Amino acid sequence: MNVQTLFVSMLPEHLLLGGLCVALVVDMLGRARAVLAIAIVSVAAAALAAVLLALGGYAAATFPGQLSVGPATSAGKAIVLLLAVPVLMLSRDEFRDARFALLALASLYGGCLVVSADSFLTLLLGLEILSLPVYVLVLLAMQRPDSAEAALKYLVLGGAATGMLLMGASLLFGWSGTLAIDAFGRALGAPEAMPRAAVGLVVSAFFLKAAVFPFHAWAPDAYEGGSVPATAYMATIVKATVLLAVVRLFGSEGLAPATAMLVAVPPLVSIVWGNVAAMRQASFRRMIAYSSIAHAGFLFFALLGAAGGRFQAVAFYLAAYGLASVLAFAALPREADDVAGDRLEALKGLFQRRPFAAVVLGLAMLSLAGIPPLPGFVAKFLVFRNVMAAGHELLAVAGLVGSYLGLYFYLRVIQYMFMSPRADGVEATATLRRYAFAASLACLVPVALLTVFPGWVLGMLR
Amino acid sequence: MADALILNVVLFLPVAGMAFTALAHERQPNLVRAGTFAAMLVQFALTAWLYLRFDATAPGLQFATHLPWIPEWGVAYLIGLDGYNVLLVLLTAFLGPIVVAGAWTAITKDVRLFHAMVFLIQFAMIGTFLAQDLFLFYLFWELMLVPMFLMIGIWGGERRIYATVKFVLYTAFGSILMLAALIYLVWQLKTTTGVTSFAFADLYGAGLAPQAQAWLFAAFALSFAIKVPIVPLHTWLPDAHVEAPTAGSVILAGVLLKMGTYGFMKLGFPLFPDAARDAVPIVMTLGVISIVYGACLALVQDDIKKVIAYSSISHLGYVMLGLASLDLIGIQGAVMQMVSHGLTAAGLFLMVGMIYERCHSRDLADYGGLAKLLPVYSMFFMVLTLAAVGLPTTSGFTGEFLALLGTFRAAWSAHAAGDSTLLWLAGIAVSGVVLGALYMLRLALRLLFGASRAPHAPLADLSAREVGLLTAVVAAVFWLGLFPDEPMRKTELAARQYQQLVAGPQAVAGTAAIAGGTR
Repeated sequence: MNVQTLFVSMLPEHLLLGGLCVALVVDMLGRARAVLAIAIVSVAAAALAAVLLALGGYAAATFPGQLSVGPATSAGKAIVLLLAVPVLMLSRDEFRDARFALLALASLYGGCLVVSADSFLTLLLGLEILSLPVYVLVLLAMQRPDSAEAALKYLVLGGAATGMLLMGASLLFGWSGTLAIDAFGRALGAPEAMPRAAVGLVVSAFFLKAAVFPFHAWAPDAYEGGSVPATAYMATIVKATVLLAVVRLFGSEGLAPATAMLVAVPPLVSIVWGNVAAMRQASFRRMIAYSSIAHAGFLFFALLGAAGGRFQAVAFYLAAYGLASVLAFAALPREADDVAGDRLEALKGLFQRRPFAAVVLGLAMLSLAGIPPLPGFVAKFLVFRNVMAAGHELLAVAGLVGSYLGLYFYLRVIQYMFMSPRADGVEATATLRRYAFAASLACLVPVALLTVFPGWVLGMLR
Repeated sequence: MADALILNVVLFLPVAGMAFTALAHERQPNLVRAGTFAAMLVQFALTAWLYLRFDATAPGLQFATHLPWIPEWGVAYLIGLDGYNVLLVLLTAFLGPIVVAGAWTAITKDVRLFHAMVFLIQFAMIGTFLAQDLFLFYLFWELMLVPMFLMIGIWGGERRIYATVKFVLYTAFGSILMLAALIYLVWQLKTTTGVTSFAFADLYGAGLAPQAQAWLFAAFALSFAIKVPIVPLHTWLPDAHVEAPTAGSVILAGVLLKMGTYGFMKLGFPLFPDAARDAVPIVMTLGVISIVYGACLALVQDDIKKVIAYSSISHLGYVMLGLASLDLIGIQGAVMQMVSHGLTAAGLFLMVGMIYERCHSRDLADYGGLAKLLPVYSMFFMVLTLAAVGLPTTSGFTGEFLALLGTFRAAWSAHAAGDSTLLWLAGIAVSGVVLGALYMLRLALRLLFGASRAPHAPLADLSAREVGLLTAVVAAVFWLGLFPDEPMRKTELAARQYQQLVAGPQAVAGTAAIAGGTR
């Protein structure tokens, strides 16, 4: 390892860290409002660095055995960081002070570590740096009484996930004598009890982090309790990071039939249950939580595909899903941040009040539902194409039918916005939220790119 | 080359139109209407130009554009005109300005959004017909749901939400199975031939195992059958038609339902020929059931829109019959019937909309003797009624007669070979013609004749705008009725290709000789 490798390969991390330090100093000097700008600039710069590293095909083992960087890693980081930019913009309307931006910067640093981890040590370190600030983020919306409960739930279950991951890693270490994540790949095909238990524990830990059935129950409460930007952060950034880590763990190994069932059945149930439960929600954020449970199912489904296409499928799906989710949160009316405004009914007649927001939110819903030509469709197509090509025809059909179940509640949002008269008791605020508007533009441009040139993006994620 | 460019303009003009509606101001509704109408006229003019330039003797695609789109998957932007779609694209472009003109006074709420949705539907429909790549086809096919969902849901009648959700959930269920099937199909193509492609031309030769064909055919057929709709998958249609605004009904009856039959002709049957041949008796039976059942239901409706909605089910039964006959004349008849039904049903729905705008009632019991109250209206209504019945010299005759003739020829040769089921089916199908005359004439009788009665008399007769757009529809009806030769020559090669793909070359050689003898 030389200094130059250290500098170049971890450039996105360095930029985040630099931004964090500057932001802390600026905050201490009492210029809290400048912190957000610094955070956005440093995340954008880090994203740009990741994009350049990915395009340049840069690969290096920064800390051999612990942390390495390759084109796929950089592309993964680029997706996470690009999604973080509009999420940060969203936070402007919620938090006038520096807390959100500082915590998000720290958390993103952990996310970058997770994505390029080569050993369970780095992975755990990254996951903790990623998660700890998020517990606080959920708690930040203290004006809501259930925030504390949501944060506590999230904290306890997050701790359980860490415990499971540690247990799994220990078993793996006992079996293989190494903490490198390759051991996990080898354990996937091993017939003995110990590696299989290890795989089960590790996968369960990630199921919990990504809110996959049967470890999904925390998500609706946490999503509902947090503020809009915190929810957006959990739904996109955390989920994306966790899934990218999973793809890295599974590596280039084929799946033994038993393992295939492990990553097929809970996600399948997740898809069906998430979509069915979402139909019954009256709160927008609970609905999005169940929707994200279903989408986590699709994402894990992508692991069933042949090893070569897994990263591409997961990365494209994450980009499409993340953009649509952030777009939805950006378009939500300002009043959506209290309990009354979070009701789905509050969206009634939105098109009459704020046509742009309604159209944007509608686009986001359609993309999440997987209606072509929006990116959500191409992503869904990609996942099921890979699953089918790997010989799991029945699972693919079951997953597609499960995705059909989701159509109803996505369309219900559109129905409320466009077809219903305004509900009583919802105050209309006509003020344009400039930051939310900028955030939706920051999502719409890549959405358009993914819609018109999906082939080009897919080629880059190869 | 220039013509290929024009075809792309035809396809993407509505997208530009959507941008126009977004930039226009809600307080200038007439500007939005006029702009949309002008854009639709241009689209129709360009399509008509291409139709005239279409070479009936050249097999394969004309004015084609082929660009790689997602090279990794073999997905291409591949569009072009051929004998399958040339008439349907012309029909779609023809109905565009008529829809806009027909909705001029009826739509006053969210005018910009309405016209944006009309543009979007037009884009999706023309795209579905033009697509020669399965991925692209599916993309447009699904895209159609969104504007239709909004159109019924925003500007529809009282139970519009129920109707539109039902419509979407029905059609989307079919689509999702088709999606699964098409992913499997393309993967099979790759494993058997090594070609990664979604192009129809490549997929026709996939050579799948019979077992796989049966499953895939079932999935595609279910999706198309919901769209047609074929009994017993039809229940969404009356609700959607009744609740939709006039423009929605016109688009639905005029073009959208043809998506299903077009899908059968372009994809369902020729992609899986072995399974399709096995399924011919089932398809024919369901077609006949649709004809008779739709007609019987139309006979007892009191809601004018429902009469026409059920008549659509009946009329599209003939299309299915003609396609399944695998007889050249029957296939040609099916194509003509698609266009003819598109014109007559669109015209009738327009006329129902006009009377509804005046009287706010669609209940037959409220009306009577309109012939005296509204003579011009009544004349147009009678002409369209007779066209729907299939009176000679109108387009309805050409389509129905040829479809039935083809069915009988196929049934007769099957009978000669010892299987007379088809002959029975064909016989029952003919009863649909009688029933069709009954329900349409009952409608005309109750509406136009008898004691003069209307909820809002005195009534104003048709305005110049309404006369103009109805004249265009009636002219098209007579064009296809009196001079069917020219459009049929443009579709003939496609009909032959379809027959060859499904029935196989030997079977075709036999019927070609008969066809040559009768022509």
